[in-house]
Amino acid sequence: MTERVEVRQNVLKENDRIAGELRDELARHRVVCVNLISSPGAGKTSILEDTLKAMGAAGRRVAVLTGDIQTDRDADRLRRYGFPALQITTGGTCHLDASMIRRALGQPGAPGAVALEGLDVLFVENVGNLVCPASYDLGEDAKVVVLSVAEGDDKPLKYPGIFRRARLMLLHKIDLLPHTRFDREAAKADARRVNPEIEILETSCVTAPGLEHWVGWIEQRLREKKAGGVAS
Amino acid sequence: MHELSIAQSIVDSVRDHLAGQAGRRVLRVGVRIGEISGVNADALDFCFGMTVKDTELDGAALDVERIPVRFRCQGCATEFDASDFVLDCPTCARKDAKIIAGDELALAYLELE
Repeated sequence: MTERVEVRQNVLKENDRIAGELRDELARHRVVCVNLISSPGAGKTSILEDTLKAMGAAGRRVAVLTGDIQTDRDADRLRRYGFPALQITTGGTCHLDASMIRRALGQPGAPGAVALEGLDVLFVENVGNLVCPASYDLGEDAKVVVLSVAEGDDKPLKYPGIFRRARLMLLHKIDLLPHTRFDREAAKADARRVNPEIEILETSCVTAPGLEHWVGWIEQRLREKKAGGVAS
Repeated sequence: MHELSIAQSIVDSVRDHLAGQAGRRVLRVGVRIGEISGVNADALDFCFGMTVKDTELDGAALDVERIPVRFRCQGCATEFDASDFVLDCPTCARKDAKIIAGDELALAYLELE
């Protein structure tokens, strides 16, 4: 005799449980956490290099967790700015999940743990992938999707999962616009179609507008979080 | 593609639920997979089979219910499917519908012997 048991449970319940714990810890220490997601080569690491430089100059204390399938190259690049930069090498997994963040941060108070006390911003650079990272809550305050103009203006509709869940889109390498057939207004309109609330900033590591507005956006989240609210 | 991780998560959830009922055989596992969840149903089925092989769940079948992307108009509450995210309400033509389904990754039921 067979019995059917209704379950109604989120498949990623365990991930979300760990993400919830991370979120609480980050809130307790008033640390803003940003999860940067993009295709490989969109510019995440370069954006972070310049961001670390700018925030360091402004006296902020930041740390980075960077995920890749192979190599430590990103962590090596990011460590040059004087802040902790830890590499998470997944060895094949196409996304970061909350348990990887937990392991990388270490248990609070344990030797080698990343101290959240006194930290202003924790950046998580996800594995280069527009699909899988979208599904995983890492305890962040915001997912930020980086779309470079070299990638094609049809990506928001092709990858609704990530554009729906991102709070902010960085339209990056905007300096290359004259050399491409990227339709900037169409890309923005499509991103807003998939996610009417998405914020959009144009950025470049090479020319104006630079990253000023992006850093300003992070500072705004920091102000909100230090004031005791959730940076959402 | 991370259907293997998802399959493992499903198996973990099933084991969680069976914690108090050792020995009952699982015949079927029902899951609901949304169209924009980023998970491919066929790949998931394949990975599920691989994950349960030679375990106590070997032989359990995966039933995948694919959930289309569905919206509800904020003006007149009409519900409509729109995979292409064209949000124009078919009834009142407002363009600000909210998504109500299509993003799920849910365990729905277990069929036990």
